Amino acid sequence: MTAWTLLKHEWRLLIRSRLALTALGILLALTAWAVGSGVTEVHRQRQVLAQLEQLQRMDMAVQQGRHADRGDAGSTAYYTFHGTSLPPSAAAFMALGMRDTAPYALRVRMLALQAQLHEGENFNPELALAGRFDFAFVLVFLVPLFLIALLHDLVSEERSSGRLSCLLALPAGGPALWLRRASLRVGLAFAALGIPLCVGALVDIALGSPMTATGLAVATALVATAAYVVFWTGMALMVAIRGRHSASNAMILMGVWAVMTLLLPALANAVITRVLPAHQGVELMLTQRQNVHAAWDVSREETLERFFESHPQWKNTAALPKGFHWKWYYAFQQLGDESVQTLVDQYRQSLMARQQWTERLGWLLPGVGVSAALHRLAGTDLLSQLAYQDAIAGFHRQLRHYYYPYLFEEKKFSASEFAAQPAFKALMNPPQVPSTSLLALVCIGLLTLWRGGCGIQGVRVQEK
Amino acid sequence: MNRRPKTVHPALLVAQHQWRILLRTRVAVFGLAVLVLLVVASGLSAWHHRNTVNAERTLLQKAVDAQFNAQPDRHPHRMVHYGHFAMRPLGPLAAFDSGVEPFTGHTLYLEGHRQNSANFGDVRQSSVLLGFGQLTPALLLQTVAPLLLIFLGHAMVAREREAGTLRLLLSQGVKPQHIILGKLLALAGAASVILLPGWLVLAWAALGGSGSASLAGAMAAAYAVWLLLWAVGVLALSALVARARDALALLLVLWAISVVLTPRLASEVAALSLPLPTRFETDIRIQQDLASIGDGHNPDDPYFSEFRKKTLAQHGVTRIEDLPLNYKGLIGLEGERLTSQLFDKYTALAFQQERGQLRLVGFFAAVSPVIALRRLSMAFASTDLSSHRSFLNQAEQHRYKLVQSLNRLQAEKMTMAQDRSSRDNRISHTHWHGLAQFQHLPESSHSALRRAAPAAAALLAWLVASIALLGLAARRINKVTP
Repeated sequence: MTAWTLLKHEWRLLIRSRLALTALGILLALTAWAVGSGVTEVHRQRQVLAQLEQLQRMDMAVQQGRHADRGDAGSTAYYTFHGTSLPPSAAAFMALGMRDTAPYALRVRMLALQAQLHEGENFNPELALAGRFDFAFVLVFLVPLFLIALLHDLVSEERSSGRLSCLLALPAGGPALWLRRASLRVGLAFAALGIPLCVGALVDIALGSPMTATGLAVATALVATAAYVVFWTGMALMVAIRGRHSASNAMILMGVWAVMTLLLPALANAVITRVLPAHQGVELMLTQRQNVHAAWDVSREETLERFFESHPQWKNTAALPKGFHWKWYYAFQQLGDESVQTLVDQYRQSLMARQQWTERLGWLLPGVGVSAALHRLAGTDLLSQLAYQDAIAGFHRQLRHYYYPYLFEEKKFSASEFAAQPAFKALMNPPQVPSTSLLALVCIGLLTLWRGGCGIQGVRVQEK
Repeated sequence: MNRRPKTVHPALLVAQHQWRILLRTRVAVFGLAVLVLLVVASGLSAWHHRNTVNAERTLLQKAVDAQFNAQPDRHPHRMVHYGHFAMRPLGPLAAFDSGVEPFTGHTLYLEGHRQNSANFGDVRQSSVLLGFGQLTPALLLQTVAPLLLIFLGHAMVAREREAGTLRLLLSQGVKPQHIILGKLLALAGAASVILLPGWLVLAWAALGGSGSASLAGAMAAAYAVWLLLWAVGVLALSALVARARDALALLLVLWAISVVLTPRLASEVAALSLPLPTRFETDIRIQQDLASIGDGHNPDDPYFSEFRKKTLAQHGVTRIEDLPLNYKGLIGLEGERLTSQLFDKYTALAFQQERGQLRLVGFFAAVSPVIALRRLSMAFASTDLSSHRSFLNQAEQHRYKLVQSLNRLQAEKMTMAQDRSSRDNRISHTHWHGLAQFQHLPESSHSALRRAAPAAAALLAWLVASIALLGLAARRINKVTP
């Protein structure tokens, strides 16, 4: 018998197994739903961004009429909010991550940035607590359960039905049979994941997502998916080939699942948030407000002197007139930001350390690893949020550079200068391929599969 | 068995026997021990964390309150912009169920003309790990405890049937309902071993903090009902399904559907069908609404010229300079009143939408009782959406009161002639001493209990349904054959 006919035979057995077929069908349906709702949500967010852009344009027109025509650069900058946005990446539909809980569009103006940068978004925290039903969820939490259902009774089923000794005696039976059967089931499970993912990507492309970026993201996601599936296959084989009852196998595997995807990650999260606190956020907010508002109580010349120390290019400009002048106002706003730069850096370091330890943990806990990899790929993790904040900070810098000549050199400001002011350019980064995490995932997957596969030779007829 | 004194109920004998088996099963004892340890450890660690966090926030609140009082003499409008911070304290039972706490901000900047978001929540400061859940007694009792009860109980009746001992028992005259009751006592005993450390953590939190005993008691009862529901359900299926391994498979599928799958599906459905507007959009809408009412900075604005006319008539003068109050302060008061009205309007709309989302999620409690339990648990722990909203509302009321008090100071303590520069014209800082002090009032236990009533009813309905199923199983015990 050729390998092909054997496989065809296995296929016939599979379609007679109600449990396996139902499991595969449900997995396919759930993945399709998860991918479908991810694509829907990303499409909705793109529409929201288009609508916001329109609203923002209308608001800019209002501001132009109200302020720019008066030729006062300072008050124009004060009243004009600028739109910034983080459009969904090509792979965002796979893992929505922080797009639900952190702003993907934020308005900023030329006042002190640190008071604006940490603004939150409207979202229902009870929904966020439950989490989204996206591809990442199906993969990380549900796929292991399906693999356990498909593989836990691989050997024990034959033993309890009395066929085991017969099968072990056959020339193509025994180890080759388990491998064939397991690979058919696992292969179909992988297809139940991969097919909806690819279809979802095609729909997303049809809805305007860039083709090469989406293709690359989906291909990488498939590698991560395969590695994770291989890991759980290995794990299931390791248990299934020991001579226990099906029920014991199921319980052991469910226990392993609960420990690896519920308890250890939750424990790690508790440890990481406690060992690496990030209270500098609140601190910088409080300090910055204190420093900005103190400027009203000290001499204006003193404030400008301090400003000129770090910005010498404006040193030799006209002295402050009596009364209010916007250049003094923006100088102390910027000084307020600069005074908390150390805290800002420390805050960033804490968050980066949290991210790094999560990635390292992912080398040991594939559930965490695959989740981190997918969210990185989708551009919906903490790093992407920080990159968005950096882009906003960069834009804010640009804005200051643009306006300062009108304030310090009293250059003429009018409608055409208003129209020429910088606009935020949304980042359209190609998908970030998390190669280290992927490599670790593939390694631990193959290692576990190898451990599981090795034991296959040792299947005995007797129960343990 | 027959020689025993008649006073011992047969159900108790069955329970005793089952307990002996349970205690002999090393894996079962190990599983119970690990879970008990985890509940205790997670409770203590969450309690410690809650205390640290709460102490930090209380300290910060005191510090900003003091900072506000320590500001030098200033123009009142500068103090409007200086603003204040409100920190959300964390109730003692948050150590048992942290609820939405990691997903909401806790530091809210209160200033004039603007309504900010509460910031610096864990949700924006964490890696993907946050999505795996919080290690609290609530998480363990909600998800892991039912799994353990399935492991311990799925074979209790089914294996006796497979081994033929069930028929033996029945032929000896033991009534089916006594067998079932005995097994239930045994499994409920195991459940109480898991529950007890949870209760200890609750008692600890209720006594140690200034927590309400009635809420802790309600929480204890909710989790007791929850575990009893699973014990009853597991036994019912163990008795109804012919083979132990089929009962196990069915129970595991039910567990995965109700505990893992449905809560996510419910939240997905709610988020997709009732999306919330972004803050970006709300900000612009508020500005547009405001522009359509009036512009306080524009002397020719129709709304504010009407306001001026009314104010002048009220005081019987013809020029704003002759008013007994500083007109700039009055404009400030009116402007803040207008913007705050709009804030309230849009906040109410958003909250209405959020409530709609939760109503939608609530329907799924018919498929998954854990949704009802979570709602109860978070309401009792003051860590649900309503509790967070209550903080936001209190902070907004405080913001409005503070800003208007400062505007009133500008109107009453400064004359129009004195009020030319918000930098140089100042009033004594003693005027705003104590004005900013923010104290969050925790919700009354009565309103939390009332809010939880529908979810409590849903959970009890599940319990009743599962008991009915167990009754059916007892009646059919003879008819199911392996």
